[in-house]
Amino acid sequence: MSTTNTLPPAALRPSAVTPRDIARSAAVRRERAAKLKLWIGAACTLLVVLPIALAQVLPLADANAQDLSQRRLAPLVAGHLFGTDQLGRDLLSRVLHGGQVSLTIGLLAVLVSGAIGIILGAAAGFYGKWIDTIVSRLLEAQMSLPLLMMLLLVVALFGPSIPVITFVIAIAQWPEVARLTRSLVLVEREKPYVAAARVLGLHRINILLRHVIPNVFKQASLVVLLLLAQAVLLESALSFLGAGPQRPFATWGRIISDGQDYITTSWWMVTLPGLFIVLLVIGVNLLGDGLRDRSRRKKKEA
Amino acid sequence: MRPLLPDLLIRYEPSIERSMMTAPFAGHEISRRSLLQFGAAAGFLLGTGALTGCAGPTGLPGADTLTLALNRSLVSLDNKLNQFDAAVTVQRAVRQALTAIGPEIKPVPVLADRFEMTGDTQWTVRLREGIRYSDGSPVTIEDVSTALKMYRQVQGSFVAGFFPEFPTVVPVDGRTFTLESEKPIPILDALMSMILITPAAQNKPEELQTGVGTGPYVVKKFNRGAGTYSLQRNPNYWGEPAAIENVEVRFLPEESSRVIALRSGEVDVIDTITPDSREQLAGLPGVVLKEASSLRLNQIFYNFRKPAGHPLSDVRVRQALSHAVNGEALVKDVMVDSVTQAEGVTPSSLFGYTRTGSYVYNPAKAKQMLKEAGVTDLKLKIIWETGEFPSDTSVMEALVEMFGDIGVAAELQQFEPGGNILAWRQGKAGDWDLLGNGFPSPTGLAITMLQGMYAGTAEKEKTRDTYQGYVVPSVTAKITAASSEVDPVRREKLLAEAQQAVWDTWPCAWAFVPKSVLAHTDRVQGLTLSANNSYPLADVRLES
Repeated sequence: MSTTNTLPPAALRPSAVTPRDIARSAAVRRERAAKLKLWIGAACTLLVVLPIALAQVLPLADANAQDLSQRRLAPLVAGHLFGTDQLGRDLLSRVLHGGQVSLTIGLLAVLVSGAIGIILGAAAGFYGKWIDTIVSRLLEAQMSLPLLMMLLLVVALFGPSIPVITFVIAIAQWPEVARLTRSLVLVEREKPYVAAARVLGLHRINILLRHVIPNVFKQASLVVLLLLAQAVLLESALSFLGAGPQRPFATWGRIISDGQDYITTSWWMVTLPGLFIVLLVIGVNLLGDGLRDRSRRKKKEA
Repeated sequence: MRPLLPDLLIRYEPSIERSMMTAPFAGHEISRRSLLQFGAAAGFLLGTGALTGCAGPTGLPGADTLTLALNRSLVSLDNKLNQFDAAVTVQRAVRQALTAIGPEIKPVPVLADRFEMTGDTQWTVRLREGIRYSDGSPVTIEDVSTALKMYRQVQGSFVAGFFPEFPTVVPVDGRTFTLESEKPIPILDALMSMILITPAAQNKPEELQTGVGTGPYVVKKFNRGAGTYSLQRNPNYWGEPAAIENVEVRFLPEESSRVIALRSGEVDVIDTITPDSREQLAGLPGVVLKEASSLRLNQIFYNFRKPAGHPLSDVRVRQALSHAVNGEALVKDVMVDSVTQAEGVTPSSLFGYTRTGSYVYNPAKAKQMLKEAGVTDLKLKIIWETGEFPSDTSVMEALVEMFGDIGVAAELQQFEPGGNILAWRQGKAGDWDLLGNGFPSPTGLAITMLQGMYAGTAEKEKTRDTYQGYVVPSVTAKITAASSEVDPVRREKLLAEAQQAVWDTWPCAWAFVPKSVLAHTDRVQGLTLSANNSYPLADVRLES
């Protein structure tokens, strides 16, 4: 008995789907958007992060050097690209040096919160039982508190120093990471490779550390990246409200807070540092989004 | 068993589905995406429409309501514990004293129609006829006697420090009484302007939150925490009734918010404005600026609670540090000429002021003096409370740079209002070296300021009731002698000696006298700002 292939070759198969339809399909659109987000995000982030990282090398005036006779000069006047502030300090230098403080606090905070979140979230998801109950209740309790109020309270109690502010932001952000890691681990622990590892006699801690956490780490670290933007915003908000590091440390929030008294006469003192924050937050968020969408596509291909 | 879903997928016919779904809308296809896009656009338009609606000014004061925005929270309408400049206007609108400091910076009678020194240790006072509280009850001599008692008894009294001693009330007849003291108090008429009179039965040795007064306004409602007060015209006022029916008092700590509130017409008066705000408001249509001299001295004061071996205990070091401060640049560039450098230990606007010297910027001399005093590697901590004086943070940051220029490292610690700076100032919470602080003379007399700041004694220091630990017995003796001298010529001489003695101890790294600046909308009329940064509310009118 012979069999014949009744299906026409792919090229000849009649289809209502045109290449134009494919180009407009959701999957292709998402792919294009991810690529665009990635590029725009990387460009915005680099535009902010690179000058900040190179602030010590760039030919800039000292961020704290005052010249009282050169107060509130407009941008591009007398060699000041961003103008000067109310004490005649170079605003660009202050924004870049302030960015170093804000970014350092942000980075340290997300590293600490990421570490706490991943460890506690993974333990809660993997072990379940009382560990899960304690961690889940703890993060629910913390998420029910008004965030900024809590931060202001802790800073008021322990004084506004860089370690305190970093720690406070880290503590404020760990629930996000912990919640996500817990749900990812809950999925992972039911997979056959975990059962196989158990059968092979691996210790549970080993399974968690060597197999489960590496598998969820990538997705969890993307959330940590997104939290960086939030951490920088929180630091700026605290400084704006007067709970940032003590003067004369320049931070973005403080530069804006000081500049608001001059908003009608010296627009640049608020607008330019504000633009830096906007660029960084948009850049990091787009970068995070782009990376997330891109990783999904790769997973599908695999 | 085969799953149901793959079976269904195999038989899926897109063309059938498309024809069925789109048949009723042939020629007018509306995809889900278009629908969502349309929804988003509609939502955006609605949202921006609503926002535009919200952007307009809201809560404009009524035609018969005056709205004041203070930069400090008015925690009470009593002055037993506290009396910052802006509070005086509102406090005196509800409660009054026997006298008040008039526009000429001299005491003028208010509840008394006679206030005379009738002996070295005696003043004779007669209450004005027919004066009544807002509830209709008359003002009695007992009310005055109780008020003095309560001001004396209250813990942490603001007023007690200004009185060399509290006088005793001795009634003469229904309206007349004498104020008797152990030693002469030649400035009692000015000092009594700080004692607000309240019915004796309601007065307590604490800050009164409610109660009646003799002023042109009564309190309709208040929220102490938010610092808001609603005042209404007192129908039983003994004098000319107030021109405005309602007065709303608000607390807006942010300078920029106050300026914007005034520009938008949301508030009518903002006081104690910074030089930069003055620059922003100058020449704006609908905004009027008022300026007056001030009875206040703002200083960068040294901590006098340092142990004997500390560099700041050495007068040469204190003088050297003052030479590091470029006062002229601070006045011209940071304060935009809205203040003047002090040339003495009291403001020149006070009666009895003497010029004792001036702050000279000379960093080379400062370095040389520090070297001679053997001071190297000096570190200073400067503390202050936000809003203590206009442009405070800029001044403090400039000081850090100026001290840095002579090799002295300075760090700043800023306290927000409501923080625990009081405990720091008293040396109970932490150590500091310099304090940014303002001190007023509510009586307009130099002796009052000297008494409050420099007449510290070891006894007072035990309870930390001296001014930043300033206890110099020789200075205290001179101030005490001046305050009890009845002969005006001799008193002036003693006062001059006392001020020179204070100056020679270099108590401040720098000091300046601010100007009282206020801004109001042009519908506000009849507002006369006096040197104590207040104005009689009863005289203010609103243009219809």
